[in-house]
Amino acid sequence: MPFEAKTLQFEGPLDLMLHLISEHKLDILDLDMDVLADQYLSYLQQMEEKHLEIESEYLVELATLIEYKSKKLLPKREGAEEEEEDPKDVLVRRLLEYQRYKEAASELYEAYQSRQALFSRPPGDAEDYGEEKDRLEGNPYDLLKAMSKVLKRVQLSKPIETNWTKREISLEDRELQLKVRLREMPEDFTLEQYLSDVKDSYEFVVSFLAILDLAKEHVLVFTVDEEERIWFRRGVDYEH
Amino acid sequence: MNTESWGLELSPEEIRLKNLPSKVTRVPKIEKKMDIVTIAEGLLYIVGDDGLKLEQLAATLERSEEETLGILSVIRQRYDSPDHGMELVSYAGKYKFVSKREIYPYAQRLYHNFKPETLSQSALETLAIIAYKQPVTRIEIEELRGVGCEVMLRKLQARNLIKEAGRSEAPGRPILYEVTDEFLDSFELVSLEELPELPSYEEDEAKDLYE
Repeated sequence: MPFEAKTLQFEGPLDLMLHLISEHKLDILDLDMDVLADQYLSYLQQMEEKHLEIESEYLVELATLIEYKSKKLLPKREGAEEEEEDPKDVLVRRLLEYQRYKEAASELYEAYQSRQALFSRPPGDAEDYGEEKDRLEGNPYDLLKAMSKVLKRVQLSKPIETNWTKREISLEDRELQLKVRLREMPEDFTLEQYLSDVKDSYEFVVSFLAILDLAKEHVLVFTVDEEERIWFRRGVDYEH
Repeated sequence: MNTESWGLELSPEEIRLKNLPSKVTRVPKIEKKMDIVTIAEGLLYIVGDDGLKLEQLAATLERSEEETLGILSVIRQRYDSPDHGMELVSYAGKYKFVSKREIYPYAQRLYHNFKPETLSQSALETLAIIAYKQPVTRIEIEELRGVGCEVMLRKLQARNLIKEAGRSEAPGRPILYEVTDEFLDSFELVSLEELPELPSYEEDEAKDLYE
């Protein structure tokens, strides 16, 4: 089956009906619903044979037409549905209403085409006259200033971010880290050696507190020499 | 050098200056009071296709609106003459200069690939319904046309021909649509009152049908 993406050449079911009415010279005010329904159906069938996509709107109206036809075949119940408006009248009214706007649309199109032949110029440079407009004002220097502000902000935000990660190192965790580090240390080692992995003052403070704890637990012992250097050695409670 | 050979003609003022004794090199510029109509013309040139509202122009010129209308009609008449390639129009309540219709074929020649913008039949029908019935909801338009219009409404909004105008009090509070000033301009309308009357199609007879 060849692929056909084209749809019906009508603007909708009402447009199609108007076309059928004029083609078969039906009186729109005294509409022969049987003829219209037959023509409508045969048109849709033709479309289907040509593998044209039929939009659901067309099928909805088809259902209405067929319903009308089938109702007429049934014997009328006296006075049963007197109050309900005749679907034929509803359809005629819709067709007439639609036709009005269709006509109006083609009149509008003439005006539209006529306007297309007239050209105007964009306004001059004197901006912001009359009505206030939200304009973006600025020059390259403003842009530069804004950019350097952004860069400053990024720089300022960096320490905050790093602090965040530092906070995550708790005293307990640091103690554990230091215990592990202790294994790799020589017999005697200095504070500098021991804390060579420290990157900032916060880490140093945590490490120092951790060392004090470790000293208390006798995991390590320390001495201070004449040059005020702090020396460490493994304590009695150090295990491996 | 003979000036005439350049095809230049001296203005009476220049001739007058020429005949003055050579000692006088500076002549005080004769101040000519600018005509108010001319000022309005200049303003209309500046604003281009934005156009000027009557109130705007009146306020700028410090004249009453009646007087400004008179000024505008003088300009309009002036440009109506075949001496000018432009004319004054007032679409959507805004006065602006546009090139005359007669220029169009030449403009097409000038811009070889110039293509006028088009509107599809469904776009026109949708616009017609909105223009005549505004403010309307999408459902009302769809009932009239018998087809869905959601995509079309979005397209027309993108082209700035229609805009949302609040919400209806109906259940679900659907969005109401109305046409824009851009629409009026595109269809050569000063206001919606200028829309041609809707064709009636023996509506009275039709009414009889369902009475």
